[in-house]
Amino acid sequence: MRLDLTEDQEFFRATTRKFLESEVPLATVRSLYDTVDGFDRTWWQQAAELGWTSLFVPESLGGGSLSGAPATDAVIVAEEMGRLVSPGPFLAVNVVAAALAWFGSDAQQAQVLAGVLSGESIATWAFAELDGRWDAASVVTTAGLDGDSVVLDGVKAYVEAAGVADWFLVTARTGEGLTQVLVPADAPGVTVTRGRSIDMTRRFGKVALSQVRLPASAIVGKAGTAGPAVERQLHLALALQSAEMVGVAERTLEFTLEYGRERFAFGRPIVSYQALKHRIADMAVTIEGSKAVTDALATAIDTDDPKVALLASVAKAYVGEHCLDIVDDCVQITGGIGVTWEHDVHLYNRRAAVDRAMYGSPEEHKALLATNTEGAA
Amino acid sequence: MTGTTDIESVETFRARSKAWIEANLPLLSEPWVETRELQRLLFDNGYAGISYPKEYGGAGLTIEHQKAFYDIVAEQDRQVPSELMVSIGIIGPTILDNGSQELKQRFLPPLLRGDEVWMQLLSEPRGGSDMAGTTCRLKRDGDTYFLNGSKMWSSGAYHADYGLCLCRSDWDAPKHRGLSTIAVPLQGNPPGLTIERTRAVSGEAGHFCEEFFDDMPLPADNLIGEENAGWSVAQSLLFHERNAVGGIGMGYLGGWRRGGGAGAFTGIDVGPLREAAERRGVGGAVGTMIADAVISSVVDPLTSDRITLGLQLGTHKGHRGSLSKLQSSLSLHGVARAALAIEGAAALVWDGDDVQLDNAGTSWLAARGSTIAGGTSEMQRNTISERLLGLPREPAFDRDIPFNEVLRNLGKF
Repeated sequence: MRLDLTEDQEFFRATTRKFLESEVPLATVRSLYDTVDGFDRTWWQQAAELGWTSLFVPESLGGGSLSGAPATDAVIVAEEMGRLVSPGPFLAVNVVAAALAWFGSDAQQAQVLAGVLSGESIATWAFAELDGRWDAASVVTTAGLDGDSVVLDGVKAYVEAAGVADWFLVTARTGEGLTQVLVPADAPGVTVTRGRSIDMTRRFGKVALSQVRLPASAIVGKAGTAGPAVERQLHLALALQSAEMVGVAERTLEFTLEYGRERFAFGRPIVSYQALKHRIADMAVTIEGSKAVTDALATAIDTDDPKVALLASVAKAYVGEHCLDIVDDCVQITGGIGVTWEHDVHLYNRRAAVDRAMYGSPEEHKALLATNTEGAA
Repeated sequence: MTGTTDIESVETFRARSKAWIEANLPLLSEPWVETRELQRLLFDNGYAGISYPKEYGGAGLTIEHQKAFYDIVAEQDRQVPSELMVSIGIIGPTILDNGSQELKQRFLPPLLRGDEVWMQLLSEPRGGSDMAGTTCRLKRDGDTYFLNGSKMWSSGAYHADYGLCLCRSDWDAPKHRGLSTIAVPLQGNPPGLTIERTRAVSGEAGHFCEEFFDDMPLPADNLIGEENAGWSVAQSLLFHERNAVGGIGMGYLGGWRRGGGAGAFTGIDVGPLREAAERRGVGGAVGTMIADAVISSVVDPLTSDRITLGLQLGTHKGHRGSLSKLQSSLSLHGVARAALAIEGAAALVWDGDDVQLDNAGTSWLAARGSTIAGGTSEMQRNTISERLLGLPREPAFDRDIPFNEVLRNLGKF
């Protein structure tokens, strides 16, 4: 989240935080653990009213960003969501909204975005497959062209909010190239297997596509040429995810410091010992660095900066690694109570671990950076 | 930075600076221009001390203007007098903060002109981190002070004109309340001064010096700030040092902004690591090291830029410079270690009977310099945790008692 927010953005941040604190405090997050969907759809519509789903939707369809820089606006919400490990498919919905706004036909936009905008329908991106990799080479699901139809076959996995989604943006392969297809959840041949994750509220699922035949008008962009679109969607997903991890890390450090100031050992607060203070100082460095690289990535998406792929991989490698390490060390500082259900730190550990893995691990992004100066995808 | 609207806009400044830089500053590939001469060129054209007030020879503009100037310098691969970073980025701002009107008029214009080069006289052979524990002795006799003791790790004292020296003027006062800072002339063999160069770990004659003061007389007018108020001067100096070393100071001189426009510049060059890995066919094994260097080269400058912006907007407080200093010094050490690992035996052994210094092995020997010089990483971590995050301070055995007593207590450990 940038330091030089506009007045509109600052207001958006404040209302977002207030909304999350009052509507989905940690006690609510805990109770959502016991629900199937992990979030309440009426609540999601309230969130939509605050503008969470409008940022990437064209103004002609009732959407609009706050500042003309929608990724920069969106990371504000993502960071606040991280601070309270909030529920809701914010990342998934916005990546699909952005994909349709950037690459979709007028008809596709009209068909999907109104419902997404109001929060009545949920759209999600089905990219990864059974091997859990978010790169073009790992896509084996096929999109065959047959006259005026496109036929999908394959299994998509790690699909966020799959169980509640009304629309899937499916990334598939047509020969050497990629094709993206907008698939209604109730299309014949679509089988959704609901799933859970270690996160309290974030649900993922598998989407099996067996001879799913749709009109060619369901193809987003041109068949076989979706490679750059997929990259752009991945960059946005990584920006939103990095921002969420920044919020996770910063909030975890805050409440760990509160705890450590009040916890005494050998007559001193435990955070007065250099053994902890020096680790905490290192955390402050990586949180500042995480914010800096996340902001740079969001700006690069908004400005079509050619360095965006490099920044996306650097952001994931850096923020993904340090966020989990910070939460992990905060568990250690918290001591025994930090490894119980009662203490909140596990809520953050859960989110940090899930975010670390999804859309490519720091290790996978480092492998890209090691061999290739260009970075992600 | 400033609310006044009558100063030149950054955009106009950028445009005229660009034209001037292209026409006047030598390229990095051209023969090296002597530091003082280059500084004089900047001064004569109004580009020395861009964010210094005009009355002391500066351009009276802001840090943003300065950043714009050095971004162009970096983009265009031009020479700037980087050796004056201590003078212009650290000492000058400290004199601006603490000096009397007369002192500022006496010392700042020659400093900006490049006529008088400054360095710091802070660390001592007994240690550097506990700076307020200085045992250099300053005693006044009429209009003259006499300085006794020694300083060490002072960069470039052998060619500097003045040193800003922190010393103890009251031994009965508590540690921080008996200090003073004074300007010490270093050239022309002044009486009572001996300067020795400390041999560097590479074996070369060192950049660092050790100075011995034996009843060295100094005019009372050389005092910077009030007598016994030296600690607040030192705090101000440390603040400017952190910012300068972290790449966010008043006077940074371009080394940090190599490589081009926003988001692209870096103090770390990953190219040689990749080349060595390819040459030796060890890419897979050392991939993580290369990736970590790439990450540092991207994240570190973005972090220092964010902190600079925060300081300008007022959302960040001063001690944030320590974040950048800690981050960049750890990265530099990490890159030196990566180079040693990736280049392997060839970095350590060569043909012929001559000593060679331009190799990753020799660089490695000095790599800890980055995490020690300018305030150790441990001291940065103390500053971050105590000053920035407000965590409780370490208990100390030398506070609020006369410094003489502190020294007597040392025997009890």
